[in-house]
Amino acid sequence: MEKSFIIAGFGGQGVLLAGEVLASAFMHDDKNVTWYPSYGAEMRGGTVNCQIVMSESEVSSVNKKEIDFVIALNDLSFDKFLPRLKKGGMMIANSSLVKEIKKRTDINYIFAPVTKMAAELGNVKMANILSLGVLAKASGLISVDKLTKALDTVLPPHRKNLLPKNIEALNLGFNFQPALV
Amino acid sequence: MTLTATKPEGKVLIKGNYAIANAAVIAGCECYFGYPITPQSEIGEFMSGKMQELKRAYVSSESELASINMVIGACSTGAKAMTSSSSCAVSLMQEALSYATAEELPVVLVSVMRGGPGLGNIYPSQGDYNQATIGGGNGDYKLIVLAPGNVQECIDLTYKAFYLAHKYKNPTMVLADGLLGQMMEPVTFGDYPYPEVDDSAWALTGAKGRGRRVIRSYAPSADDQCVFLNKLYAKYALIEEKEVMYDEYMTEDADLIVASFGSMSRNVKSAVKIAREKGLKVGAFRPITISPFPNKRLKELSCSAKKFLVTEINMGQMVRDVRLAVNGKVPVEFYGKGVGSMIDVEDLVDKIESLIEV
Repeated sequence: MEKSFIIAGFGGQGVLLAGEVLASAFMHDDKNVTWYPSYGAEMRGGTVNCQIVMSESEVSSVNKKEIDFVIALNDLSFDKFLPRLKKGGMMIANSSLVKEIKKRTDINYIFAPVTKMAAELGNVKMANILSLGVLAKASGLISVDKLTKALDTVLPPHRKNLLPKNIEALNLGFNFQPALV
Repeated sequence: MTLTATKPEGKVLIKGNYAIANAAVIAGCECYFGYPITPQSEIGEFMSGKMQELKRAYVSSESELASINMVIGACSTGAKAMTSSSSCAVSLMQEALSYATAEELPVVLVSVMRGGPGLGNIYPSQGDYNQATIGGGNGDYKLIVLAPGNVQECIDLTYKAFYLAHKYKNPTMVLADGLLGQMMEPVTFGDYPYPEVDDSAWALTGAKGRGRRVIRSYAPSADDQCVFLNKLYAKYALIEEKEVMYDEYMTEDADLIVASFGSMSRNVKSAVKIAREKGLKVGAFRPITISPFPNKRLKELSCSAKKFLVTEINMGQMVRDVRLAVNGKVPVEFYGKGVGSMIDVEDLVDKIESLIEV
């Protein structure tokens, strides 16, 4: 089994970090995994994304055309990566910043107001980690435990004080109930 | 980057550039000289902290010319020294590489390729295969060039580069690309797996208690230089005999062999797997040392395979070496893409199908 993920948003939303946490969680789960960032002449406020490919055998390709899961933290990312989703794939969109419009009918959507939820939890910057909780629940491919362990691995020593709050964000995301449409 | 331990326990998720840098530290690199350039800047960034922490030498040089010549200076004392750079800046180092080869110095250079020619761009490319394997320096010289295909190999081949450079007293290059430099993958570091090479017979360490030594490339006598060049080429023959490395996948009964190097080889192997499921007799071949090139093995394979396909992220460079190795015995096709990203697996499968049908 091989699954691909794109996490995308504005520079500053913690897109690359969330990707690193997800990739690290798959590593802790003894999966093969790759993480590849968009890099280029990027700037703060511009769009940024990273692609994670998890596989039970060797990862077939680091940068795949068709994606299983997209986390879009802003509207630009939603528009950009919607066409890249496989049929039956899943779009997890930050409905605090993305309009709830279902342009494609052959994929699944979860609209979660992760920016608003993170703000209510205490810090808007945790929207990225919160969305990983939503992904964990929606995909069933990774546990909150492994994501928690990954957070501990990825956060540098001088940021370890942020760990408890981020674990809360993960769980809040995991327990998020999407509105039934 | 939160890698605080030099030898982390177990698996770690790490970028190719940091993997190379940390492997160099574990290999015992005593001096790093460098000038920043994307997509390899993390190597210098990591070294700027780590080398100072370990009380080793780190110099952020004023130019790439200075970097590589500082490496020559350090290597002439027998030190393990390196620089890292990318494409257009590796161009600036060509003269020094020719000198270092003539001086038989264990220079280690990491080149993380970006798009060219000229200033080009910072996206992944394999356009410096010729620059690495043929080079732009003057005279009869060769580098040892190792091409990692994944992040684990970035580590393993950095270790190997230090060992081979010192064992053969020859400049050795690790040739990665922007994709490998920027991507992350779980890896293990382990210990430096090679013995230390004794440099006491030639290194410039001060002439106290012994005769003077001179390391130079100037060769005023034509006869003496012929002797030296024969010796140099005998060394290259020995390296080719002992050190050629390659990786093969399902080549035994393959009608078509797809050859690639570096990060492109991941997609090639996946395409071969899919083509095999469709019943097509395809195999994959990947040189790990691109200099010396696995000529002998390719020649052997050309006796069983009916056709070769070479895929590269450039306009066709390694394809020339494959054609020379196969020497007209079977057709060698090329499928490339200038710069940017690896060729998609699906497109490779289509190409394989089109070549087998014909």
